[in-house]
Amino acid sequence: MIYRFLETIDKTFGIEKAKAHCDIPCGIYDPITAQIAALTVVRMIDLMTDLENKGGDKNKEYFNTFSRYVNIKEEHAEKAKAEIRVIWGDYLKAQHLEKYPDTHNLVHKIMQMGSKARQTADRETAVLFVEAINEFAQIFWETKGIATKRAKAPYAPALELVYPAL
Amino acid sequence: MLRLLKITGQSLSPEYQEGDFVLISKIPLFISTLRPGDIIAFHHSTHGTLIKRVDHLLPKSNQIFVTGTHPSSIDSHQFGAIKQQDIIGKVLWHIQKPAR
Repeated sequence: MIYRFLETIDKTFGIEKAKAHCDIPCGIYDPITAQIAALTVVRMIDLMTDLENKGGDKNKEYFNTFSRYVNIKEEHAEKAKAEIRVIWGDYLKAQHLEKYPDTHNLVHKIMQMGSKARQTADRETAVLFVEAINEFAQIFWETKGIATKRAKAPYAPALELVYPAL
Repeated sequence: MLRLLKITGQSLSPEYQEGDFVLISKIPLFISTLRPGDIIAFHHSTHGTLIKRVDHLLPKSNQIFVTGTHPSSIDSHQFGAIKQQDIIGKVLWHIQKPAR
C-alpha cells in the first residue's frame, strides 16, 4: 500500500532517482538459453536415431552427417552447463541460497547430467538434463518474484519447458 | 533533512531492486560514523546520484570506499573512494517493490 502510494507520487510528480549502476550486462540473466541448449541435445539424439534407422550405406555422407549431430550435441550440452554456472555464480546470492538450500546440489546434478549427455547418446539422460534445468529455471524466476508456467516448446522435440508467466 | 529516492539499476541486487524506494537522511551522519554495510546515497560528478554500500572507511582521509553487491557494479573499484561531503544521506527506510 505504501509502495503504491509512492509509485503514484512518482508518476505524478517524479521522485529523484538514485542509480545502483552496473556495467554490462547487469541484471540480464535468463535460463532460457540453457533450456534451449539442453533441448538441442535431445533433438540431436533424435536426429542420430532417425539417421541410424534410415538404413542405407554407411558411407562418408552418413558419417559426416552423424558426426555433425554429435558435435552439436557436445557443444550444446557444454553451453547449457556454462549458462547455468553463470547464473549460479553471478546472479544467485546468499539470500537466494538460504531460501532454496538445495540449489547447490541441483547445479551439481546439472553439471553431472550435462557431462553424461555428452558421453552417451541416451535420450532418457538428455530428457532428465532438460528437466533438471527446468527445475533450476523455476527457482530462478521465483527469486525474482515472477510466476512460471510449463508449456511445450514450439519446435521438435517439443518437450515441456518452464517459462516466466508474464 | 529527509529525501525520498527511487532506485534504478541492479548493482545492490537482490536486497535493493530496481523500482524500490528509499528514505534517506543526513541526520544519522551527524550522530554516528558510517559503518561497513551501511547503504548511502551520494553525488558523483560523472554518474550523478548513486546508491551503494559502504565497504570500508579510509583512515585519515575522510573518504569512503563504496561497492555494490553485483559483480558488475560500478563503484569505488572503478571511480575510487568518495568524499564525505558528497554523501546525500544514509538509508533509513527501504520500501521494497512488491513481488508480482
